[in-house]
Amino acid sequence: MSVGIEHYVLLSMALFCIGLFGVLTRRNALLFLMSVELMLNAANVNLIAFSFYHGNLTGQVFALFTMALAAAEVAVGLGIILVLYRNFRDVDVTVPSTMRW
Amino acid sequence: MEGIFTYAPAIALLPLAAFVVALCFGNAMPKKGAIAGIFATAGSLGLSLLMLAAVASGEVHHETYYQWAAGETAGHSAAQGIEFTFGILIDPLSALMLVIVSLIALLVHVFSLGYMNAEGETGLPRYYAELGLFTFSMLAFVYADNLLMAFMFFELVGLCSYLLIGFWFRTESAPSAAKKAFLVTRFGDYFFLVGVVAIGATFGTLAFAGDNSFVAQAEAALDGGETLFGFDARTWITITGLLVLGGVIGKSAQFPLQTWLPDAMEGPTTVSALIHAATMVAAGVYLVARMFGYYALSPTALGIIAFVGGFTALFAASMAVVKDDIKQVLAYSTISQYGYMMLGLGVGGYVAGVFHLMNHAFFKALLFLGAGAVIILMHHEQNMWKMGGLKEKAPVTYYTFLAGALALAGIIPFSGFWSKDEVLYDALILGLENQLYLAAYAMGLIAVFFTGFYTFRMVVLTFHGEPRSEAAEDPHDIGWSVKAPLIVLGLLSLTAGIANLAPVGKLLDMDIMFLEMWLDGHYGGLEELTYGAYSDTLAHETGAIAGSEQTTLLVGAALSLGLALSGAGLAWTLYSGSDPAQHTQRLGSVRELLRSNYYQDEFQVWLAEGLTLPVARTADRFDQSVIDGVVDGVSSVSLFGSGWIKRIQTGIVTNYAALIVGGFVGLLVVLGVYGGWFV
Repeated sequence: MSVGIEHYVLLSMALFCIGLFGVLTRRNALLFLMSVELMLNAANVNLIAFSFYHGNLTGQVFALFTMALAAAEVAVGLGIILVLYRNFRDVDVTVPSTMRW
Repeated sequence: MEGIFTYAPAIALLPLAAFVVALCFGNAMPKKGAIAGIFATAGSLGLSLLMLAAVASGEVHHETYYQWAAGETAGHSAAQGIEFTFGILIDPLSALMLVIVSLIALLVHVFSLGYMNAEGETGLPRYYAELGLFTFSMLAFVYADNLLMAFMFFELVGLCSYLLIGFWFRTESAPSAAKKAFLVTRFGDYFFLVGVVAIGATFGTLAFAGDNSFVAQAEAALDGGETLFGFDARTWITITGLLVLGGVIGKSAQFPLQTWLPDAMEGPTTVSALIHAATMVAAGVYLVARMFGYYALSPTALGIIAFVGGFTALFAASMAVVKDDIKQVLAYSTISQYGYMMLGLGVGGYVAGVFHLMNHAFFKALLFLGAGAVIILMHHEQNMWKMGGLKEKAPVTYYTFLAGALALAGIIPFSGFWSKDEVLYDALILGLENQLYLAAYAMGLIAVFFTGFYTFRMVVLTFHGEPRSEAAEDPHDIGWSVKAPLIVLGLLSLTAGIANLAPVGKLLDMDIMFLEMWLDGHYGGLEELTYGAYSDTLAHETGAIAGSEQTTLLVGAALSLGLALSGAGLAWTLYSGSDPAQHTQRLGSVRELLRSNYYQDEFQVWLAEGLTLPVARTADRFDQSVIDGVVDGVSSVSLFGSGWIKRIQTGIVTNYAALIVGGFVGLLVVLGVYGGWFV
């Protein structure tokens, strides 16, 4: 096997940074959701890579858990976005700011 | 007689049962609860007489019934630990007092039939219930075997008198008089409580009698020259003794806490009789007699007792001279007579003080019940100037009242003469050696003249001359329940002096001083609680006029009798006749001063409003500005700060995410710098 662990780590880091960039710059709630998915998947890549590297399956099992979690998160997130749209006719996350102090 | 003491708790518990019965079923009972009270107090009286007989046959009863707390003490001369108990101590003193209290309570209950029931008062079950509770508290106080139990029932007595003084709570004056009585006596009791705690903490026990009583502990500390709480033993005993005396002064209405007692006349007259003769006011003096062994260790405290007593005797007697209300005259005479008892106890005349307490209980109950009868006769008029001429219309009331008045004035051979003379004799023999006691004696002696005067002014105005109002011309009838107690007490007032004919005994050298032998444990008693033991502790130096006891006795008796007779004679000449003039008017501004009670009430109100209130206001201002200011300052600083810091919560999710990321990166950098990652 020729692909070293550092490549997986770099890939994961790149994915995570893309996701983080999306969260910090975008205003569309759907893009938010996608960025969060990217960050979760970056974590998954890391888990599986190290699981493979250490030769045990715990990391893979946890990657499966993370996927289930991601699916649940998307379900809840989409629900929130639907309500957001119904109330504001928009999915811009900067609009609903009335719940602060 | 061994087994009779098994029934000792019942003496107090019977009136308590009457209290419960009258309270719960009073409305359904004939006479509204009076029957229960009469039976209960009669039972108490019977048992008390049995106790008296048992003590006379040489037995004493000292038993702890219930221990409700125990613990360690901080005091250094303490025993292993302190115990708080309920117990009964029946010795000659308490047996005698039990009989007096239950007898007066019984007679007051009987008299109430005529005074309350027959006059159609409402709230009678409450009245009889409170009387029962009152009797219960006093009886339990009398045979309490430790200071804390005494204190608890002392307080209960105060509560009951509050309830009874305020019996007619729909009037304006009764509730305020009740509150005044409660507050003024509570002020004294505050010192009493501190004294109880001090004694308990010092000696590790509160028992009156026994080898480990606080008196014995104090004596041991005194002999050992110990230092207690930073004072030498005698100073500390004086301090604690005076603290307890605070309660006595409040309850027994001694100067300067006597102001509550005249106002307490707002209660029913029967209640006044009970309060003045046997319960509330007697409790204070009885307490001094009960722990006399303790006071005997402190000549300073005794000197203060004597002086306060002598001063109060004169002070109150002078005010009684100008009162127009028959009950007010009696109220001031009570204060004055309790002054005599304090004087007697203060000069070490334990027997004299107790003797006067006993005689006073009889004749003052008689006078108050007599006044109650007069008030019935007069259709509830109390002003003596509206009375007159009752002598022919109510002979029983007149002659019994006269017997009480003669006893009060101290005219031979009525009971009051013998006891008052003994008090004054004890003061005189001490006064010949010590100026302070001589001053106290002089005040007591002058008060005798005033006593004779106001007593006969009252008698003459009430019963002699022509009727001065319609009510006096056509008096209301009185029944047997009014007359019977008067007759019993009238006979006692005439004859109770036989108990201790000290002057006769000393002159003729006969052993007829029964009360002295009784209190000295000749018939039985606890050795450390006898007159002889107290006298040994005191070891007063006494003097005598012309070096002869007989001469001193005769001079003293002649002086007091002469003054009493001249006072009575002056009143008689001034006020007899069909239409007496108001001679006190001629006193001018002095009369105003006396009628206003030396402006004592005004002074106490000034103390509250002119002194305490501004101090309280200043304290309040300090509290409002400084204390509250600090608290408010803390909260306004945090409010102001958080007003700024809350602005980081923008409500925009992106900013929160940026903060989380920034915070995390910052944390990593900090950890890295301190963790040495970059080295």
